[in-house]
Amino acid sequence: MVESLARRKATVEVASSGDAGRAAAGWMADQGIVRAVLADDPVVDAIGLEPALRAAGIDVLRWPVAMGRREVLGLEGPEDVCGVTVPTLAVAERGTLVLEASVGHGRGLDVTNRHHVSLLMADRVVETLGEALAQTFADGRPVPSAVSLVSGPSRSSDIEKISTLGAHGALTEHVVIITP
Amino acid sequence: MSTRRRRRNPGVAYSDVKGTLRDRTVDALRDPTLADNLRTAGDSWGAGREVMKRDFGFDQMRDRARDIRRSNIRNMPALLAELQSNVRANGGVVVRAADADEACRYITDLARARGARVVAKSKSMATEEIKLNEAMEHAGLEVVETDLGEWIIQLANEHPSHIIAPAVHLNRDQVAALFRDEAGTDDVPTDREGLVAHARVRLREKFAQAEIGISGVNLGVASTGTVCIVENEGNARLVTSQPRIHVAVMGMERVVADWDEAAHILQVLPMAAISQDAANYVSLITGPRREGETDGPEEFHLVIIDGGRGALRGSEFEEVLSCIRCGACLYSCPMWQNVGGQAYGSPYSGPIGAIITPLLEGPSSPGSRDLPFMSTLCGACGDACPVGIPLPDLLVRARARSSSPAKRKAGLAFRVWSLLWRRGVTYRLTMIGWRLGLRIRGRGGWVHRLPGPGSGWTKVRDMPSKWPPRR
Repeated sequence: MVESLARRKATVEVASSGDAGRAAAGWMADQGIVRAVLADDPVVDAIGLEPALRAAGIDVLRWPVAMGRREVLGLEGPEDVCGVTVPTLAVAERGTLVLEASVGHGRGLDVTNRHHVSLLMADRVVETLGEALAQTFADGRPVPSAVSLVSGPSRSSDIEKISTLGAHGALTEHVVIITP
Repeated sequence: MSTRRRRRNPGVAYSDVKGTLRDRTVDALRDPTLADNLRTAGDSWGAGREVMKRDFGFDQMRDRARDIRRSNIRNMPALLAELQSNVRANGGVVVRAADADEACRYITDLARARGARVVAKSKSMATEEIKLNEAMEHAGLEVVETDLGEWIIQLANEHPSHIIAPAVHLNRDQVAALFRDEAGTDDVPTDREGLVAHARVRLREKFAQAEIGISGVNLGVASTGTVCIVENEGNARLVTSQPRIHVAVMGMERVVADWDEAAHILQVLPMAAISQDAANYVSLITGPRREGETDGPEEFHLVIIDGGRGALRGSEFEEVLSCIRCGACLYSCPMWQNVGGQAYGSPYSGPIGAIITPLLEGPSSPGSRDLPFMSTLCGACGDACPVGIPLPDLLVRARARSSSPAKRKAGLAFRVWSLLWRRGVTYRLTMIGWRLGLRIRGRGGWVHRLPGPGSGWTKVRDMPSKWPPRR
C-alpha cells in the first residue's frame, strides 16, 4: 500500500492509533493548513484528531458543515483548507482509497478542498480492486449513494500530455495508515 | 417548444467542418506545430504501453476484458432493463432516448422546467456525439466544459482532437493565449502548473453557479444500478456533487453485469488510455443523495442513448459495441499520428471513429462515408485495443459498405480495366495504344507529364517513352 501510494504521488506515514492524531495534525501544520473539515467518523475520535488539531491552532469543522457553496469550493474564506476522510477500504495493488458518502461523510470532502488527509485503518487494506468493490457492493449491504475511488492527488495531462498536479481536486493527498 | 422543434436531428460528424476530408488531411499534414504536438503525444503513449505490458500484465488482462465486453453486448437488452430498474429503485430517473434529438430535448426541457441557467459539464463523448452543447446553448443555457482539455477546446471554438485528450494538438503557448482572452487580462501564467491553477479558479466560479451538472458514463453496472465515471482531474467529482441536479448521459452499450466485471474494466481502461494502473478519481454513483446527506445532487437522471447502436447488435459490426472509448487506437494509428483527430470531422476519430461514425450515420452520409479509407490497414489499432476489437477487419468491412462518389468512380474504372484485359485482342490493343501514346508524348526518351489517371505517376517521376525500356 505504501509503495502504491507513493507511485500515485500521495505522501504516506504509518502511525499507531495513539500517535496518529498528533501525526496528522503535525503534517497539516507543516503545510500551513488553517482549517480542517473532518468526516464525522469514529476513527477521527479514536485517534484524538480534534484535540490535536486545536492544539496546533487549526480551526476544526465537522461534517455536515453549514457553509455556502462558494465557501465549500474555497472561493470564500480561507484557502488552505484540508478535508479529512476515513476510507472504508483501500486497494494495496493500486494505491486506491475507497470513500463512501454518508450522512457523516460528505461526498465532496476529498475533492473540494486544497488538501486531503485520509485516515486509513491498516486492517481495511485489501489486495485488489475486485475485492474492494465486492465488499462495498456486497448483497444485502445497503448500496451507498456515492463511492469515490481516489488514487492520488488531482492531476491533468491535458496540456502537452505532461502530468501536472492540482487540476480540480486536492493538490496534496496525505494518507495516515493507522496500526493498532 | 417551437424553437427547439426546428432543430434538425444532427448527424454524428460535425456539420461545421470546412472542406473535404482530403483538404483537411492535406492542411493537417502541412501544419508543423500540429505534427510536433501529435508526435509528442504518440511517443509518450507508446512508451507507456510498453510499461503496462512489462510491469502490469496488460496482455493477459486484455483477453478477459474482451470476453466481458462480448458477453455484455450479447446480453445488452436484459442488462439495460436491470440497470434501469435498479437506478429507479434508488430514486433516479431513467430515460431511454432513441436518438440525439430525443436525448437533447429531454435535457433542455428539464433545464427549462427547473429554471436552470448555468450547466457545468464533465467530459463526455456521448454528449459530443448528440451535439448537446449546441442544443443547450440554443435553449439559452450557459454551458461550461470543466475538463481542462475540453474547456480549452471550448474557448478555442474548436472540436476535440482525441477521445480522452481533446486539446492534445495545442501547446502551452496556444493555451495561455486562449486563457488570456477568456479572462480579459494579460495577467495569466505561461507555465503548465500556472495554467492549470488558473483554470481551477476560473472553473470553480462556474461550479458555484451551476444548477445542473452533466457527466458522461464510462460504465453502468446493472446489478446495483450504479454509473461509473472515470477521470483524473476531479471535475467530474465536482459536476456530480455540487449542482442540485446531475444528469448522466450514457451510450447504451456501456453496460456491464456486475462488480466483478466492472472492477476488471475499470482497471483496463486507465491502463489502455493513459498508461496508468489506476485513474485518480472514479465516481460510483447510485441515485441522488439519500435522506440526511447534505451534499450531492437532489435529482439524478440517467439518459441512455441508442443513436443507432441497437441496430448494430447481431450485425457484422457488433464488436464495435465493445469499445470502452480509451483512445488507444488513435494514438497507435499512423494516420491519426500524422493528421490528428480534427481532420476526421467527427467526435470519434482514429480507427474506431472511422468505423463507428459512418455506422451511426448510415453508409452514404457525406460527412463520414470516406472515413473508413483513413487507414493504411497496418494493424496497429488491432494490437492496441484493450477489448480485442478486430479494428483492421472492421475497417475493411466498413469500406465495402461505404458508398461515396469517389468509391463508385474507382469501382467503375476497375470494371472497365478488367473488361478490356480479360480478352487477348483488347489487351493487345490497349498495350499498342499505350506504347504509341508514350512515343508521341515522349521527349528525349522520357515522358514528363501524363494525363488523367497517369498524372499521379508523372507528378513525382518521369516515365520512359519506350516500353519496356531498352538501353
